[in-house]
Amino acid sequence: MTTTTVNGKPTALPDDPDALLIDVIRDGGLTGTKLVCGSGVCGACTVLLDGTPIVSCLLPAQAAAGKSLTTIEGIGSTGLHPVQKAFMAHDALQCGFCTPGFIIEATAFHDGWRATKGTATPSREEIAAALSGHLCRCGAYEGIYRAVAEACSGRFDGSDPIAPRLEARDKVTGLARYTVDIQHDGQLEGVILRAHVAHAKITGLDLAPARAIPGVAAVVPLLDDDNMIRFVGAPIAAVAAKDRHTALKAIAAITFKPEPLPAVIGLDAARRDDAPVVFEKKDRKRAGNVSEGAGGAPVSWKGNVRGPSAPFSQKAKQAKSWLAEARQQGNPLLVEETFRVSTQQHASLEPHAAVAKFDGDQLIVHISTQAIHESMEKIAKRYGLPHDKVRVIADHVGGGFGSKGSVGLETIAAIELARAAKAPVRVAFDREEELSVAGYRPAAELKLSLLPSTEGRLKALSLTAHADTGAAVNSLIAGLARLIYPAEAKELVDFDVLSNLPPGAPFRGPGGPPMSFALEQAVDEAALRMKVDPIHLRKQWDTDPNRQRLYDWAAGLDVWKNRKPAGSQTGRYRRGVGVATGYWLYLWQTGSSVELAIKGGRIVASCAVQDIGTGTRSVIANTVAKAFDLEPQDVEVRIGRSNLPPGPGSGGSRVTASVVPPTLLAIDKLKAEIKRTASRAPAPGSNAPWREMIAASPDIAVSAKRQEDGEPPPGVRPALHEAGIMGRVFGWVLRLMNHMVVGAGVPSSVQVMEVEVDTWLGHVRVLNAYTGLAIGKLAAPMLARSQAAGAVIQGIGYALYETRETDPSSGHILSGSMEDYRIPGIADMPKLEVHFDEAGFEHVPGGSVGIGEVATVPTSSAIANAIRDAIGVRLTEIPFRPDRLVAALKGRDAA
Amino acid sequence: MSVAVTTAKPTAKPAPEFRAGGTDFSERRRSGVSQGAPIDISAAGSKAITWDADGAALIGALATIATIATDARIAAAYPGIAASAQGLATPQVRQVATLGGNLAQRSRCWYFRRADIDCLKKSGSTCPARSGNHLYGVAFDLGPCVAPHPSTMAAALLAYDATVTTDRRSALTIAGLLGDGSVSHADHTLAAGEMIESIALPAPLAGERASYKRAISRTYAEWPLVELCARVVIADGRFQLVRLAAGGVAPVPLRLTATEVALSGKAANSASIAEAAKAATSGAKPLPMTAYKLDLLQGLVRDVLERLSD
Ligand SMILES: Cc1cc2nc3c(=O)[nH]c(=O)nc-3n(C[C@H](O)[C@H](O)[C@H](O)COP(=O)(O)OP(=O)(O)OC[C@H]3O[C@@H](n4cnc5c(N)ncnc54)[C@H](O)[C@@H]3O)c2cc1C
Ligand code: SF4
Ligand code: FES
Ligand code: FES
Repeated sequence: MTTTTVNGKPTALPDDPDALLIDVIRDGGLTGTKLVCGSGVCGACTVLLDGTPIVSCLLPAQAAAGKSLTTIEGIGSTGLHPVQKAFMAHDALQCGFCTPGFIIEATAFHDGWRATKGTATPSREEIAAALSGHLCRCGAYEGIYRAVAEACSGRFDGSDPIAPRLEARDKVTGLARYTVDIQHDGQLEGVILRAHVAHAKITGLDLAPARAIPGVAAVVPLLDDDNMIRFVGAPIAAVAAKDRHTALKAIAAITFKPEPLPAVIGLDAARRDDAPVVFEKKDRKRAGNVSEGAGGAPVSWKGNVRGPSAPFSQKAKQAKSWLAEARQQGNPLLVEETFRVSTQQHASLEPHAAVAKFDGDQLIVHISTQAIHESMEKIAKRYGLPHDKVRVIADHVGGGFGSKGSVGLETIAAIELARAAKAPVRVAFDREEELSVAGYRPAAELKLSLLPSTEGRLKALSLTAHADTGAAVNSLIAGLARLIYPAEAKELVDFDVLSNLPPGAPFRGPGGPPMSFALEQAVDEAALRMKVDPIHLRKQWDTDPNRQRLYDWAAGLDVWKNRKPAGSQTGRYRRGVGVATGYWLYLWQTGSSVELAIKGGRIVASCAVQDIGTGTRSVIANTVAKAFDLEPQDVEVRIGRSNLPPGPGSGGSRVTASVVPPTLLAIDKLKAEIKRTASRAPAPGSNAPWREMIAASPDIAVSAKRQEDGEPPPGVRPALHEAGIMGRVFGWVLRLMNHMVVGAGVPSSVQVMEVEVDTWLGHVRVLNAYTGLAIGKLAAPMLARSQAAGAVIQGIGYALYETRETDPSSGHILSGSMEDYRIPGIADMPKLEVHFDEAGFEHVPGGSVGIGEVATVPTSSAIANAIRDAIGVRLTEIPFRPDRLVAALKGRDAA
Repeated sequence: MSVAVTTAKPTAKPAPEFRAGGTDFSERRRSGVSQGAPIDISAAGSKAITWDADGAALIGALATIATIATDARIAAAYPGIAASAQGLATPQVRQVATLGGNLAQRSRCWYFRRADIDCLKKSGSTCPARSGNHLYGVAFDLGPCVAPHPSTMAAALLAYDATVTTDRRSALTIAGLLGDGSVSHADHTLAAGEMIESIALPAPLAGERASYKRAISRTYAEWPLVELCARVVIADGRFQLVRLAAGGVAPVPLRLTATEVALSGKAANSASIAEAAKAATSGAKPLPMTAYKLDLLQGLVRDVLERLSD
């Protein structure tokens, strides 16, 4: 037997030559080291081997024999490392799942730098090169740059800083426990058997051979009751065994007969008349849902095409005839173009995961979820359990971006396996599952026509979207164009095109970025043809008061004022500047409740809400602290458990606006209660009267539910009111069915991007990004900035790199690894200026609305407009990869 | 993802496979693409870089990419080798990956890398990439398999006329090691159990310069769409020697001899480079989805040679 030293402790290494270092580390209880890609790409599993950072997911355990290993738990165990302090102070993290890997790498870089360069400050380029083996999906890169630079320059050699994010310390030390890290006694590992073919009927499913394998504790079927497979990766059964290896062996032993059916893959093939039909009429209810809201009115189907769905059209016939007329007359102002956006995977670094355990009749499920309270309700309903017999827990969630909003297969499999095995079971998706069957923002084809009137107003708009939704329905892209740029007539039509691909899912501002990609390029094109400044034209066409202020900010930027004439450059490198606008609905969830208590002289705030990296804990702590003249760290925030007062889901950017108002109500109640129960008044002249009273208070508790907003100022309306009666109906349905209210005022963003195009190598680089946001008052300013930055870099990924690739005939997802699904790295992060316009939401108690979605809506279109500005050619399909750039420059169609 | 069908037909006993750093092997082994048990060779050979009296280097097959990337003498004598090593994979992978493993690594084709899809490089009889999605495939279609060779170092070594010694053969050229691109079942010509021991580089020429660059969509850490290692000797403003080896475009690294010839004796300026760059694609046979690689190849030739003639 060989040994290694882990954080100074001698540790035995397994004899198995196939054992990988990461498993030895994590199985030994050191769960700060994360497994994400398993292929050396993301760096989440990085540890120090004799002081050198290496990826533990590829290193044979035997390679550590006789060497010394340091994991995140070994960094700062006797006092935080300057890099850890800098990450805390600069909020260089969001969900925190990538953080241990970054910290390990950055400490090695820091220590080497200090040894040779003293306290000189490394450049952005030097930092980017050193950290190029790490990926962060939340996009915390801006903070990471600052943190590493300042740690190297010696700014964090002193005492521990105060972190703007409440749980930052746990995340930089590797102590934060995510669902994948949960390890109960006797816990089994669950694995899902998935289909290899895109379309088939399954008969003769035989689970017995799997049950017969030693070490297997349970096998459950997961096939839908029609026994149909409709995409590669559709679930068939699940196994729980003593370890993953045994579970995989058992999976391979399961037998069945697939009767193959003709399959159809993707948007273009599925629309053909002779395409095989994926969902027969009787099966349509089995399709998934790609939207956050409820399904609207019934919609017709033809083959695989579901639609038209056009509730938000306005005088559609009129729009059509004006556009036809303009086309016929060859009106030079008529902008007509077909745009294409591609499939974007959420690619959260923590995979979908659940750990289920029965404790008597109590079901305890840890889930990597965006909806603690709702998951509890749904699980209780599904299994006929009372609410108090189901406990959902999520202390930390390693990203979600919309994909973890419902009770998923990982949770169902874990619960059913745990029940059958009578033991705790963990089910965690592997990276390929995560990048193929865990949901995505559907690709779409967007046909757009836009007609300005002779007076320069917006006369008619037509947008028809066909979304590549796979085995799902309910895409809403075109309809969103109703809520911006009022016109005389709009024809807005959405279609879902179903095919034998996995179902799409909601993703950060679902149809917003695709809609913006088409509309904002068309507006840009109209400005070019009308020979007016694109910001000026938007100011004219767009009536929203929040965006009016943002346009003024954007028009004043030096980068905008100093831009070169469009398409005037001829050299190899060409620079361009583009602008685009985005909006999202201001949503809040009814019934959201917060309890404030004093326990042992300390304030405790509780709510069954989750923190997926957005900073929910800090938002609550800041709100409470401010009211009582305390520091946020003085407030204990309890979230992440379903037995707390019901909180909102993290979707639709609704958490802040749902949680802050009841917190404010509860604060008033608590103040009254403290005063009522106080045995004596604070010392006269005390400069911390509340602190004293809280310390002296008996244990008390109050709670409050989300109140209605105040009366908005004249002219400030819910976004849906732009859509007339149908908008109101939609709003009512949302409130009734989803407990979501669309409030008055429109969260808005205007972005300006400066790009450089290398015309020889087809490479686009975003040099500078300017993002202006009107989302009301900032409940946690530094964290809001982190969200804004993360949204921009995710938008850059959407614009430049990310796309799912499939095999056109078999339906296999080919981009199932993180080397083939390309998310942005630290060097791809531009310099960023964030401008917050805090007005516009005074009628909301606390004045804050959500930021997550609105901040990513216009990024891809601003980049598209900047590229057009640089090279004089408009690219209509994202991602703008080198192959597309060189083809466009040559006037050729890309493959 | 665990799927119901695996193509890796359970052969009696899959042949064992060498494992050096494991950065390629471990991922294939875990995914089930490769079923052979590991024979660990990480301590079974030389990691050293040694120099002879003429200034020629001999690199042990177990030398890591990071060692090659940071060795000052390599950077001075063979800047194209150093730059290629600095440009590949990620810092953490370079620390562990060996030069021998880099040359012998298996294809990164996304069909090949899935355990549940069969292809010519496994036991199959067709290439699903050719008829399917070959966005990252070759633009010089030289054989039945359309995946480009993954080794960055092989292209660099080709530019330097390096030779490889195994435990059975000596002085193999890179073409000798990797074949001519018509072989589809393997990624090299090594026999089962044949081990690379060392790589020999001829002494550098007087006054030679070299550089390396890859075309990718992001800034770092991405497999190249196209990559190029170039060596030149310029005297009196004219090219005396031009050596160009490209990766990412063919089943094996390719010398761009037509461009080399076109530039021989020509003025080292952007006009002659631009003209000669057009010849870089002579002999190309792009697939339906890979014509773009030819534009990138020409762009890289111009980029790298312009920088070298500055
Ligand atoms: C994220 C990432 C990005 C990458 N990017 C690039 C890139 O841009 N360019 C590039 O070239 N590579 C790239 N690689 C691949 C990497 O360079 C190789 O995995 C590495 O060089 C292989 O070396 P190793 O020692 O780890 O080999 P191993 O994984 O141990 O072995 C690889 C193969 O070589 C065989 N082998 C190893 N040593 C010998 C020997 N001495 N004799 C005979 N056979 C041997 C093994 O049997 C095995 O089949 C990347 C890898 C990762 C993970
Ligand atoms: S390109 Fe080569 S490796 Fe890829 S599927 Fe075809 S034969 Fe296999
Ligand atoms: S998990 Fe090891 S590099 Fe991603
Ligand atoms: S903070 Fe980096 S992935 Fe979430």
